[in-house]
Amino acid sequence: MANSTLPSDDELIPRLLANDETSYAQIVSAYHGLMVHLARAIVGEAIADEVAQEAWVAVLRALPKFERRSSLKTWILRIVSNTAKSRLRHESRTVSMDESLEESPIVDPARFKPNAHWASPPVMWHADTPDALLASTELRSCISDALSTLPPLQRAAVTLRDMQGLSMEAICKILEVSESNGRVLLHRARSRIQMAIEEHEGQ
Amino acid sequence: MPSCKDITEHSSDYLERNLPWWKRPGYWLHLAMCIHCRRYVDQLKLTIGTISKSPDATPPNISTEEIQAIVEKMKQSTKK
Ligand SMILES: [Zn+2]
Repeated sequence: MANSTLPSDDELIPRLLANDETSYAQIVSAYHGLMVHLARAIVGEAIADEVAQEAWVAVLRALPKFERRSSLKTWILRIVSNTAKSRLRHESRTVSMDESLEESPIVDPARFKPNAHWASPPVMWHADTPDALLASTELRSCISDALSTLPPLQRAAVTLRDMQGLSMEAICKILEVSESNGRVLLHRARSRIQMAIEEHEGQ
Repeated sequence: MPSCKDITEHSSDYLERNLPWWKRPGYWLHLAMCIHCRRYVDQLKLTIGTISKSPDATPPNISTEEIQAIVEKMKQSTKK
């Protein structure tokens, strides 16, 4: 993202509050892509853009009350996450947002012996670098499919951490989860992708 | 010492150096002795690298026209 030209929060916030159009354009150009990316993770491709646009209006409305307990970027992404979550609740009541409370295991329990050591251990993969793995069109689509079937909050966690490179602290604020829940969400998401790669690579 | 299952459950914490200090020696010792878990953790690391380089990892590009349209919407919303 073209973040280099974005002024600091201290400079930016008063200008946004004064409805300065140039600052609007700067902040939209810096963050809108990240916002759509996050919204996609939670609500899916089709309405992500709409959610991000809705979030901007909410950002302007809430800005006078912004208490600076986090960076402006974290705070904006939190508004995106909340907008997306309430959209999701509205559209599909039955979908469970995160499965962290259900005890779904990281690795299929059948792969362990009763003493919790490996019965069917991981096998070598054909490729041993990200680029080599991603060179396979088939594997790329496996990864994409696996990502799209993750529960929304797991997908959001992996998007913010492994794709956008945010800190765990910021991610937990954005998703409004505790530090330990945030870590569980992230690890589950990664493990599911790992299993998808293994199914493809480990034959 | 942790079991193999424990190792798989805390491997992200291990890679991000977020294991509580009292768990670290047991974790290291297990990895030193268990080739399967070493492979598991290596593959997790590779998975993370692959996720971050996958096509899905790039946020969408926003055109100047789109930016302008959003700015217009923001202006409208503050006029109300
Ligand atoms: Zn082991």
